[in-house]
Amino acid sequence: MASCHISVQDLAVRYGSVLAVKGATFEVRQGEQLTLLGPSGCGKTTILRAIAGLEQPASGEIRIGEAVVYSSRQAINVRPEKRGLSMVFQSYAIWPHMTVFENVAYGLRVRGVRGRELERQVHDALALVQMDAFVGRGASQLSGGQQQRVALARAFVFSPSVLLFDEPLSNLDAKLRAEMRIELRELQRRIGITSVYVTHDLEEALAISDRIVVMRDGVIEQIGAPDDIYHRPRNAFVADFVGSANLIGGRVKLDRAEDGLIAVETSGGSLVFGQSYGRTVGTEAVLAVRTVHAELRRDRPDAPRNVWPVQIRRRIFQGDFTQYQVDWEDRPLVVRCIAGLPFEEGEQVYLHLDPCHCVLLEPS
Amino acid sequence: MRSFGLGAGASAGQKITALALTVVCAVLVLYPIYYLIQAALNVGDPQARPPEQYGLANFVGVLQYTKILTNTVIVALVATVFALLFGFVMGWILSRTNVPGRATFEQLMALPYYVTPLMGALAWSLLGSPESGFVNQVWRTLGGEGYLININTAYGIAWVMAIFEGSVAFVMIGAVMKSMDPSLEEASQVLGGGRVRTMLRVTLPLVAPGVLGAAVFVFAEMLGSFSAALVLGLPNRFYVITTAMYQLVSQYPPKFPLAAAMGVSLFAVMFVIVYLYRRIVMAGTYETITGKAFRPRVMRVGGLRWSLLAVCLVYLFLAVALPVFTLAYASFQKLATAFPRAGNWTLANYTAAWSMEAVRSALANSLLLGLATATLGVGIMGLLAWIIYRSRLPGRAAIEYLVMFPQAVPRLVFAFGMMWAWLVFPIPIYGTLWLLLIAYLTVFLPLGVRTIAGVLLQIDKNLEECAQMCGAPWGYRLRTVTLPLLRPGVLAAWLLLFIASVRELGASILLMGPKAKVITPAIVESWFATSSELTAAMALLQTLVVGIAVAILLVSTRRLAQLGGE
Repeated sequence: MASCHISVQDLAVRYGSVLAVKGATFEVRQGEQLTLLGPSGCGKTTILRAIAGLEQPASGEIRIGEAVVYSSRQAINVRPEKRGLSMVFQSYAIWPHMTVFENVAYGLRVRGVRGRELERQVHDALALVQMDAFVGRGASQLSGGQQQRVALARAFVFSPSVLLFDEPLSNLDAKLRAEMRIELRELQRRIGITSVYVTHDLEEALAISDRIVVMRDGVIEQIGAPDDIYHRPRNAFVADFVGSANLIGGRVKLDRAEDGLIAVETSGGSLVFGQSYGRTVGTEAVLAVRTVHAELRRDRPDAPRNVWPVQIRRRIFQGDFTQYQVDWEDRPLVVRCIAGLPFEEGEQVYLHLDPCHCVLLEPS
Repeated sequence: MRSFGLGAGASAGQKITALALTVVCAVLVLYPIYYLIQAALNVGDPQARPPEQYGLANFVGVLQYTKILTNTVIVALVATVFALLFGFVMGWILSRTNVPGRATFEQLMALPYYVTPLMGALAWSLLGSPESGFVNQVWRTLGGEGYLININTAYGIAWVMAIFEGSVAFVMIGAVMKSMDPSLEEASQVLGGGRVRTMLRVTLPLVAPGVLGAAVFVFAEMLGSFSAALVLGLPNRFYVITTAMYQLVSQYPPKFPLAAAMGVSLFAVMFVIVYLYRRIVMAGTYETITGKAFRPRVMRVGGLRWSLLAVCLVYLFLAVALPVFTLAYASFQKLATAFPRAGNWTLANYTAAWSMEAVRSALANSLLLGLATATLGVGIMGLLAWIIYRSRLPGRAAIEYLVMFPQAVPRLVFAFGMMWAWLVFPIPIYGTLWLLLIAYLTVFLPLGVRTIAGVLLQIDKNLEECAQMCGAPWGYRLRTVTLPLLRPGVLAAWLLLFIASVRELGASILLMGPKAKVITPAIVESWFATSSELTAAMALLQTLVVGIAVAILLVSTRRLAQLGGE
């Protein structure tokens, strides 16, 4: 495992009387792309700004490499410009009174790079984001996507030890965002820089991250690799925020457990089998099953468990998939079907929940 | 929890600069106030310094001047009502109706500010004094008895003050009307509320806090205003509190403690009012300011638009065209009367004014002071604005209060405190231009800081933070990012400070020495001591010189900007 590059310990940040971050602890490994993911107001940007030094925490400790840059106990608070980081802002923050060249050259000039060497490095950085043709342009003459690229070049040109991204793609339109997402990932791999990325966009987080930190209300809910977070959400919030999920609650029937699966009896009397993934099993349990992992069939599927007849109540066509609401045990379940013939509202079909997709949640 | 809060995360340079500026501000602002209060509490020998006996007798003394106190309140109230009326009507017409030439009128609404109450008072005195006023001359020629208008009364003074403060009220109320999201009104109409109901139930409640805020602000300004009451009231021995203070200080023997007590009382009242104003403004903003961009809904008023156009024209005529024209006319007359005669035209007033050494040196002094105040001012006030609104230093809110403090103190009252304060100052600056420079820098602190802050707050904070993330230290950031982006604000502040300094009266009239005169008090002296024709020429000369200086500056900065851009 790569060594730890940034470590955040018990970080708390206060805005007036509101505690925006309530004791966050995590680390970022060398060369890793870590994403802070969560709904707006969850404190993710605050953590990023605290790492940058732009926000003063109330307590905790932040280390970058060997150096302690913030510690409430040791009364250390290194100024942002001395932390050796760099940042891409949500608003791009391209200086309107400078050309593209001047913008990118800024960090190098601060570091005393001059002359041919300056030109070469600026040119190389702009080439890497395919903006070398725009070097003499004024910043106001650039489109949103171009500004984004310049902001990126400006951020990495002086070889900072860490790159911070504050929702850098949120101001771009959907198509461009998808393209930039891939480019960003490519670039990050090529320069191999440690980066911390903030977004509220799930797809973005899944696509570009090595690991994801899911946050809510200033608290970290789960840390893990994208597929880990997606397939094995720890609690109801993560299950619902990272893709949509159905939650099924009931009493644990230890005597009915089979094949390493756990069995949960719902209030309606159905027995639902699921995976515990080694989590502690109590007497009550909630299983989460993703709406895309539930399966609808006209004919009874050939599966030993988790098959029930249900009725289609609502059908909502959504383009890439069709969303159905089905009546299951007098309660609605949501199922998303990617392909196949459409079912009619009112039609009787079979619902199959593959036990390996029914994930036991930790009690909240 | 925060054991090391003091400015952690800020560079040493930033902390030292902030501390130094705070000390300078504190001295500039609080030192004179200390002496003002000390003088007000002096009940012993009025000449003894420091006072031998302290007491509140002077404040009791102030209360005995009931006539002056009622005069002050009447003038301020009437002026506020009229100023608000002008401001509200003009604000509504120019931001909410489709009156022709709206954009042009909006620009023109700045003109009354440049004409100034002093010029207005001089002009309206020529127009409306009961005997020789042009209007009354015409009235008698038409067969009228006595006089039609008398400007040398409480209402006359209030009228002149209101006309000029009207443009301030307009700016404040117009901004509220523009910042109102029209969908709030549309929602009412969609839900079946008629025009009248929408107006009463939605529009008015939404603009009410803004209008109330403007009312309080204007009233405070009116309480402390000086020049119109001086020019129009003194001939009739009609005093308001500021002119009474001036009288008490400049008469022989002067009654300093009583004047000081008047100043302290006035400033205490204004302080409360300004505090109220801040409360109102802060409570009211959330209702109308949404941060979303929208165009204010313009009401189609049909044929009425021509009547509204006439209203705008009449206001600008009364506030700008008529006063300027009257002064210009009088300045070219041997003896100004309402009816021009062939033999009465002359250039003598201008040649006289220009040839008087006193006028020339006063004008030169004023220009020099204007340049110095504006140049030093933008530096100090720009840094202050940055520290207050951009730094994360502890105590920046306190600095803001300190800087905005002079807002609540009439300039004349402040000058009184300075007179005492700098008289005992070890370096002899009393009676020199240096004292005036210090005075201007103090009384114009709120003006400069607010102007620069207005632009500073529009600059995305990320632009500066990004420079910081690129590793740039504070000074470097200010020079390469903040300052270039702040240029329009700095230029505007420079111009405002320059113009305000050159035309300053309230502080200058008390503080200027016999060998270091400045132009505006010289104009007032001339008004009382020499002819009104000569005074009119001096006033226009001053305006002309300011205009030329501003024009030169604007052209040269534009030239510089072009050179820099190539």
